[in-house]
Amino acid sequence: MLAAIREVQIPLLAAMLLGACLAKLGRVLRARSVDVALGPTALFPLRLQRPVAVAMCAAELTLGIALIVTAGRFGTGAAATAVRGVTAVLFVTAVGALIELRQHRPDVGCGCFGDLSSTPVSLRTIARSALLTLAAAGTIGVAPLRLPPPGGALALRLALLAAEIALIAALSPEIGQALVRLGYSEPCELRVLPAERTLSALRSSRQWRRHASVVTGHHPVDVWRELCWRYLVYPGSYGGREVEVVFAVYLRSRRPAVRAAVVDAATGEVLPPLHVLPPPAADRPVRPLPPRAVGPWVARPAAGARPATLPPPQPLSPPAPDAPQFLPAATAADESAAEGSLYHLLALSSPVPRERNNREEAPARYIA
Amino acid sequence: MRDLLDGLAGSERRSAAAMAAASTAIAESARIARRCRLKAAVFGPQAGLDQGPSVCDDANAWPLESVPRAVTGEVLDVSPHILVIGKGEVEERFALTADANAWRGAKTDPAAVKVGDHAVVRRHDSGREVADRIWANIGRVTGTIVRRDGDTLVVDRGDGSGNQVLVIAERASGRIQVRFPRLEPGYLIDIIGVRHDDFLEGLVPATSQPAYRADHVPGPPLVNGHVPGSFSGAAIWHEQGDEPDGLIGTAYPAVDPQNAATTRAGRQQAASGCVSLPYLSIGSLLRVRNDCTGLSRVLPVIGSAASARLFCDRSVICGPSPRGRIADLTLASFVELGGELDEGNFNVTIEIEG
Repeated sequence: MLAAIREVQIPLLAAMLLGACLAKLGRVLRARSVDVALGPTALFPLRLQRPVAVAMCAAELTLGIALIVTAGRFGTGAAATAVRGVTAVLFVTAVGALIELRQHRPDVGCGCFGDLSSTPVSLRTIARSALLTLAAAGTIGVAPLRLPPPGGALALRLALLAAEIALIAALSPEIGQALVRLGYSEPCELRVLPAERTLSALRSSRQWRRHASVVTGHHPVDVWRELCWRYLVYPGSYGGREVEVVFAVYLRSRRPAVRAAVVDAATGEVLPPLHVLPPPAADRPVRPLPPRAVGPWVARPAAGARPATLPPPQPLSPPAPDAPQFLPAATAADESAAEGSLYHLLALSSPVPRERNNREEAPARYIA
Repeated sequence: MRDLLDGLAGSERRSAAAMAAASTAIAESARIARRCRLKAAVFGPQAGLDQGPSVCDDANAWPLESVPRAVTGEVLDVSPHILVIGKGEVEERFALTADANAWRGAKTDPAAVKVGDHAVVRRHDSGREVADRIWANIGRVTGTIVRRDGDTLVVDRGDGSGNQVLVIAERASGRIQVRFPRLEPGYLIDIIGVRHDDFLEGLVPATSQPAYRADHVPGPPLVNGHVPGSFSGAAIWHEQGDEPDGLIGTAYPAVDPQNAATTRAGRQQAASGCVSLPYLSIGSLLRVRNDCTGLSRVLPVIGSAASARLFCDRSVICGPSPRGRIADLTLASFVELGGELDEGNFNVTIEIEG
């Protein structure tokens, strides 16, 4: 059992050293500067920081390869003992450096695995280095490794390896960072989406078609963004009043939610939104009427009664002065209805609940 | 004579151009001022934003509702008991009490302030005509070192406003070298000092120099889900440059680069910086709280804090803040919120309004 434990340390230590070096190299290549990989070298004088960072990475790479090379039939005698001894010394040094770093630069991460090791040094990090020191010391004097035959011996070694990996993972704050990266999706507040795409999404939205008869300008007079929404303001005219039509487009690459409001340009009064669509253009095919009226504002026919007859479509005309021109609130349109589906056909009759996006609607998303 | 005529014609052209620019600026300001209300119109009461218009009112009305604590202008007269500050055609007189103190390259007596100095005065809590703190000719250079010639550095502020010249004063050289060991092109610098016509005389290091170069700023930690609604970090101040005296507002490190193209700040391509901040625009409202004094105000975003996002340092005025500079305040806003200009920063929490 003890022999098996000592044997599995060699591939494990080699993997850790090579992984650490590659992670540091990856970070350096991404940032195109050795300075980002400094980590514990922050303890050294300025002129020594860069050489020490390079030397650390080179030592990890060399020892990782040497552990693998000396693990087999070359692993007899002084060469293997020297490599494993130096590995143990490296980890002892790491323990000391981490303790120093924790005391003198508590804000600096250990940098052991590049970007993933940016959290300040904790006792877990120090315990991991101590465990690896013991593992390295235990490999001194181990006979050359041979692949055990299938059966109990192989299963025992695999189980020991898995258990130790689990222990090291439990001691590694980097695991949390790695899991975050694996399941990462960029929050909409941080998403960079060109204004042109927003404009194109707006032009193909139902809200745009609904307000097209009011909008008088081809280009927005103002465009700005806040959090997950981009706002576009168009000049407009309705019933002789100069108005501004404000669209808010959710910053999502496909079928974003679009909201709209009409504001009197002179008084700033918020006018409730339009509730009628403009008549279809002459060059567009007329959308067929739905087979049955649905939606909250049309009474469903009682069972057994004859279906209600829909009034013929009326051309858009300016509203009478005493008639309500607008619905009493801003409307939202969800563009998620599939092409050809019933809800797509019944564009006005699809009261799909709007996605809850802001802090007031979805407080659970905003955890301070 | 021809030169004179050319000069007059040129003067008229410049005058016309200046008027056109002023008129454009006014139109743009009016457009930005409407954004808060237009946004509230879209979301309305049903989205829980019924307080939106009042927030818009608060932000617009703040300078008018109360007497501003910060007064900026030229020193017209100074005596052991009275300080007169001129701002355009307006003069304001302040009584100097024994408690008042001043900064003019170092902490000094208010009587050491000279006529002609550009001063920032903070009123005393007890009265509107009493000066509490006076900063004379204070200036700051923050940005990336472009060139060095002995003790003279050329620094790019990163906002497209051109380079600044910083001359490190001999008496402060040692202190600055300790905090800024790499006075080389490509590295960052942040120094407070005395403003002269063409240069800043560097006297006080405002932070410690980051180890990385300006083009290798570490990325922010990843955020899953939605970003939080409030952020803590460091607030700094910037010189007013072309800004009018007493301007209230803050530059913000994450101004949307897509629609900031018409502003000077927008020409600088936004980078992520070392804090994950949500994108906002000029005119967005932030509630800014000084965690050290407890004072808070709603401030509009007035620009992109290009150099602030290069620094991943902390404020330690009242305990260490989280990393990153998240607000770059105007002089007046910094003083109104209780900040000490010669200290350069304070711990801050910002919340996005509306």
